[in-house]
Amino acid sequence: MKILVVDDEKNILKLYKAELEDEGYTVVTANSGKEALEVFRAENPDIVTLDIMMPDMDGIQVLRQLKQEKPQTPVIMLTAYDYRDDFSVWVSDAYVVKSSDLVTLKNTIKQIIEKK
Amino acid sequence: MNNHDITYQGPSKPSSEAHRSADAELRRLKVLHAITTSVLSITDFQELLKNIAIESVKFFNASGSILRLLEGGKLKVEACSGLCDGIKIELEIGEGICGVAAREGKTVYYNRADGIYQAAMQSIEVGICTPLKIGDTLMGTFSLYDKMTVDGDIIPFGEDDRITLEGFASVAAIVIEKSMLYEKALKQEREAVEAKRQVEELKDYLEGLIENSPDAIVTTDLDGVVTSWNDASEKMFGYAREEVMGQFLPNVPHFLVDTEKSYMVQIRNGETLKDLETVRKTSDGRIIDVNINMSPIKNSSGDIIGISRVGRDITERKRIEKDLLRKNNELSRLLFISSTMRGTLELDRLLRMVLTAVTMGDGLGFNRAMLFLIEEGGRTIKGAMGVGPANHDEAWEIWSRLSMENKDIHTIMQEIELGPLRKDSLMDRLCCGIEVTLDDDTVLTRAVKEKRAFNIPDVRTEPLSDAVLIQQLGTMAYAVLPLISRNKVIGVLWVDNLYSRKPITDHDMNILKGFTDQIASAIENLRLFEHVTEAEQELENIFESISDLMYINARDYSIKKINRAVVDKIGKPPEEIIGKKCYEIFHGMDSPWELCPHHKTVSTNRSYVGEVDDPNLGGTFLISSSPLFDQGGELTGTVHIARDVSEIKKLKEKMVSIERMAALGEMAAKVAHEIRNPLLSIGGFARRLEKRLDSDLREHAKIIVDEVRRLEGILNNTLSFVKSSVTERREVAAADLIADITTLLEPAVNERGNVLRKEVDHSVTLIINYDRMKEAILNLVSNANHATENGMITVGVYSESSFSEPDLLDHRAEEKDAIIEIRDTGYGIREEDLDRIWDPFFTTRPTGTGLGLSITKRIVEEHAGRIDVESKVGEGTIFRIYLPLKGGPA
Repeated sequence: MKILVVDDEKNILKLYKAELEDEGYTVVTANSGKEALEVFRAENPDIVTLDIMMPDMDGIQVLRQLKQEKPQTPVIMLTAYDYRDDFSVWVSDAYVVKSSDLVTLKNTIKQIIEKK
Repeated sequence: MNNHDITYQGPSKPSSEAHRSADAELRRLKVLHAITTSVLSITDFQELLKNIAIESVKFFNASGSILRLLEGGKLKVEACSGLCDGIKIELEIGEGICGVAAREGKTVYYNRADGIYQAAMQSIEVGICTPLKIGDTLMGTFSLYDKMTVDGDIIPFGEDDRITLEGFASVAAIVIEKSMLYEKALKQEREAVEAKRQVEELKDYLEGLIENSPDAIVTTDLDGVVTSWNDASEKMFGYAREEVMGQFLPNVPHFLVDTEKSYMVQIRNGETLKDLETVRKTSDGRIIDVNINMSPIKNSSGDIIGISRVGRDITERKRIEKDLLRKNNELSRLLFISSTMRGTLELDRLLRMVLTAVTMGDGLGFNRAMLFLIEEGGRTIKGAMGVGPANHDEAWEIWSRLSMENKDIHTIMQEIELGPLRKDSLMDRLCCGIEVTLDDDTVLTRAVKEKRAFNIPDVRTEPLSDAVLIQQLGTMAYAVLPLISRNKVIGVLWVDNLYSRKPITDHDMNILKGFTDQIASAIENLRLFEHVTEAEQELENIFESISDLMYINARDYSIKKINRAVVDKIGKPPEEIIGKKCYEIFHGMDSPWELCPHHKTVSTNRSYVGEVDDPNLGGTFLISSSPLFDQGGELTGTVHIARDVSEIKKLKEKMVSIERMAALGEMAAKVAHEIRNPLLSIGGFARRLEKRLDSDLREHAKIIVDEVRRLEGILNNTLSFVKSSVTERREVAAADLIADITTLLEPAVNERGNVLRKEVDHSVTLIINYDRMKEAILNLVSNANHATENGMITVGVYSESSFSEPDLLDHRAEEKDAIIEIRDTGYGIREEDLDRIWDPFFTTRPTGTGLGLSITKRIVEEHAGRIDVESKVGEGTIFRIYLPLKGGPA
């Protein structure tokens, strides 16, 4: 089970990678929207977690691209605050508010995998 | 005969001659006798003269004769014989043979052959002429011409002829004179007879005239004793001729006897009195108006022996005169009242004038009068004003006071117009209490409905008499006249004569009718005026109360009219503003301002709207300037409305700052995002450490984890209310949820002196995201607490049939909603705020974020519910949340 974690914060990527690997997932990371698309195409992950706020490309744009390329790949949106007013977010499979407590994220990933 | 003797005795001849002489003498006597005989038988003078002429020709064997008489100094032919053609009718003394004979006073011979005299007639050869004289008085001449022989030869007249002629002439002269006298006497007698006849005729004529005259002709002696009394006098004065002859004038009333005597003295002095207007008494005691001419009667010697009076009955004329005078008075009074009425602008004063005019003795003179007006809607007639004494005592009191004050109608009208209006009489109060519906059938209502006047001489015999008037006013007889203006009855005038009991005549009615027309139009005018005044006042009020500056400028920039707002803004009294130039007042300049809208409108004739920043007025103004045109389309000025938009400008600025704040908020969100990420790393790694470390260090890592969680909590609370997925819903007993909330808020509620009450239907179970719904309701209760002081907050839960529209399968119509109601008795929400309370950031509390209600609404909508509000300022507010009992779609 390969998870692509996209965030512009390298420390966050490190944390997520460590935590998710602890959970037994293969973790690849990208720290920009552009890189995310490259890695997504190269690594073909099973799940993507995507930070909405990124400097070069807005996470929602990335989401659209990802969904256009591989609609079946679940994308979990991570954000600093509520973005559900943006209809494009609805395209994502789940939505998790970022928190240092990763339990919610881990549960969401589990649910998505179970659904699959 | 004497002359004959004298002539005869005159000549004395020798005896040879004696025979011839005697013969001549005889012949002469024969001639004289014949002539005398022939002429004496004649009575007609002219014929006498003619006979003398003819007979003398025969006796003297002459061809012709001419008899001339002296008339006016000339010798005029009176008779002629033979040579009548071609003779000169008139001769001067000394002219021709006759003229010479007359001048010389002796007989003259004429013979054309000797040429001594010039005959007036050329054809005669010889002639003889002798003057006709009585004594020395010349009467005329007598001449004979062309004496002829038996053979027809003309021979001169001889001495013999002269003697004979002279004798004849003397006789003829006497005869002629006597004849002339007789002729004259005859003529005089004829004239006397004619004169007598004429006098008789004149007398008959005059007598006829006197007898048949329509004028009374009375003659008296100088003491007023009647000497003649014509038929007209009998008719006019009623006294028969027989009873008045020899009496003192019986038709002179005793009070005029002295006057009559003084007139008679004047007549005795030769005066004539013309057109005396006086009165006379008739035999049955009536006094009649007469016009009399008095003149003296003189006898033939010119002495005044009596007096004639020619009288004419002028009673009728006098009556008409008085009538005219009265009508004229009435008319001028009406005219005056009417013009005064028209000058009055208050209805009460007008009515008072009308009624005073109707009741004043100097006016129409009724005892009492009332005016009724048709109420708006036209269903009833209501008393508007009454004038007149309420009872006999008051009537006496008023009348005696009025006669003492002796004011005329002009004065009283003026008092009413200018003085304080008294409206306190009993009559007035009685009148104002009377109201009659037009559905009734009475005189009053008929006057209105039939538009005609009624004169009720006796209320007891008139079945339609108004009972209310009889009861309240005690009227016995009255008249009612409709007040008609523009063919519409606007009221009724009522009059009566309760105290004087004077019947109301047709004449009174006519006058009143004329008057009511005036009243009606005056009242109508007044009402129109009042309407116009009201409308004007209304416009003025609007003009004044508009908070925008409004002013009207004339073409020349002078200010014509301003409203209150201008006065307040400029800070000067109106009189210091009106008339000044607008650029002085508004802009503090001494010439028109280029940017001024009035300036633009005046130069383009067009409306102009623009925003002007005027430092002089200290603000920004949105000014509209519209041109005013006169009827000829000429620009007369402009109307301005200037709105102080400084406030709006400030608001705009505020908006900008709010936008800036929003931007700041966004930045804060970004910042938060920036903080969240490092926090996430810190917290995340700390958790990892916490798991792997032991004892003290683990404790330290936990502190980091806790603090980070707290910071994250703060971030979540500030920036977002979404912490978990909406999918997490469960069944909750409504009572539990409410209890949880009330427990939480109880202290805060008590702190504000409020009572928190629960009205919960325990059977209601909700399917909700507990935390979210709790947050939503907490917001509402907390708001209610903030809006209420020492009041009551009620939280209720109950169920009710759903109001939602049925879907195609119609199965939701049966479903029910749970309703959560939060009711307070607080301040309430202003109506203009009700629409905005759901907007984010809208708050009336200084410490509020303005997010509470918008979050609540969003939460309710997430639950497929809806929320509404009812509020009244000062009474309180009710929020109701409607949730589908089976739970909405996830």
